[in-house]
Amino acid sequence: MVIMENSGRYGRLFTLFFVMAKIGCFTFGGGWSIVTQMQNEFVERRGWMTEEEIVDYLSLAKSFPGVMIVNMSVISGYSMAGIPGAFAAACGLVFPAFITISIVTYFYVYLKSNVYAQRILNGVRSAVVPIILSAALKLKSRSLIAKRSWVLMIVSFILCAFTDFSKVLLILAGALMGLLLWSSDAVKEEGSAE
Amino acid sequence: MKILIQLFLSFVKIGFCSFGGLTMVPIINDEVLAHGWMTADEVMDIVAVAEMTPGSLGINCATFVGLRSAGILGAVVATTGTMVPSLTLCLLAAIFFIRLKGNTVMERILRGVRPVSLGMLPAVALSLGQSSFLGADGVAWDLVVIAILCGYLLVKKNLSIPKTILLAAVLGLLI
Repeated sequence: MVIMENSGRYGRLFTLFFVMAKIGCFTFGGGWSIVTQMQNEFVERRGWMTEEEIVDYLSLAKSFPGVMIVNMSVISGYSMAGIPGAFAAACGLVFPAFITISIVTYFYVYLKSNVYAQRILNGVRSAVVPIILSAALKLKSRSLIAKRSWVLMIVSFILCAFTDFSKVLLILAGALMGLLLWSSDAVKEEGSAE
Repeated sequence: MKILIQLFLSFVKIGFCSFGGLTMVPIINDEVLAHGWMTADEVMDIVAVAEMTPGSLGINCATFVGLRSAGILGAVVATTGTMVPSLTLCLLAAIFFIRLKGNTVMERILRGVRPVSLGMLPAVALSLGQSSFLGADGVAWDLVVIAILCGYLLVKKNLSIPKTILLAAVLGLLI
């Protein structure tokens, strides 16, 4: 893996495929843990993406039809290695799920009633909650840059947790609030200060 | 051959009409019942299988339905169909988005969108937590302990996610 990572464009595509396949093996709970894993693999370990990119692409992925985690892989893959990267990342992500489902379908009746399978599943589901929360913790410093951002975050949390408010509309509302709450001058000043 | 084309088109449609997760179930239900590929009971089974395995519900359902109705080729075709919206519409959006990077108006928009996106994460954790920790007979404290332990190891000890999930699986088996 180390050799391949250093060998140019095709090396990067291979790495994308294999890292996404690894991520795909551990996406339980609707796939939201993909955010934590991508932050880990591509921001911390490889430096191929920034924390802002993770949050930005998550918003995009959530706003378009299709499977959210496949969308997320396509956008991130594209940002790291162009259109081939998008395909490599999406195929990598789906590969382990495809193999697992193919196997599980055959043993399904047995697994459904097996008490040990249920216990393992309960354990795994419990871990998904702290995994998702840890992503929020890690991504917060780049997203919550002012008091205004905290207010937006809390409102979004409340609407998502306690109402059926559409997530697409919520993101559009966030975009509008961004335009209203930050002037061009403020963005330019802060941008040059960074 | 005909069933393969039908499977592909059905799952392209399912992909375009949904935003992932459980919202896909009613649409999948309609499509597979209309074609007579599966029974309503079998559709409920998909949800159970999808929860047992990694990967998102949409992809898992596509593989399951494809496999049951037309074997391994069916599974490939249905799964590919589900990925079509991501590889077309979403890819175009990504290309457009990345071109606009650094644009001041885009940056203002993102300052509003980022906190909104971030707020969704604890909301998802809350709803998953409710379904994992609250059973028919109250709070499952043993599972809460697993969650707290995993959270501690993740944040304070930087344990990787694959290791955390494997640990949680073993603990779930032991408790």
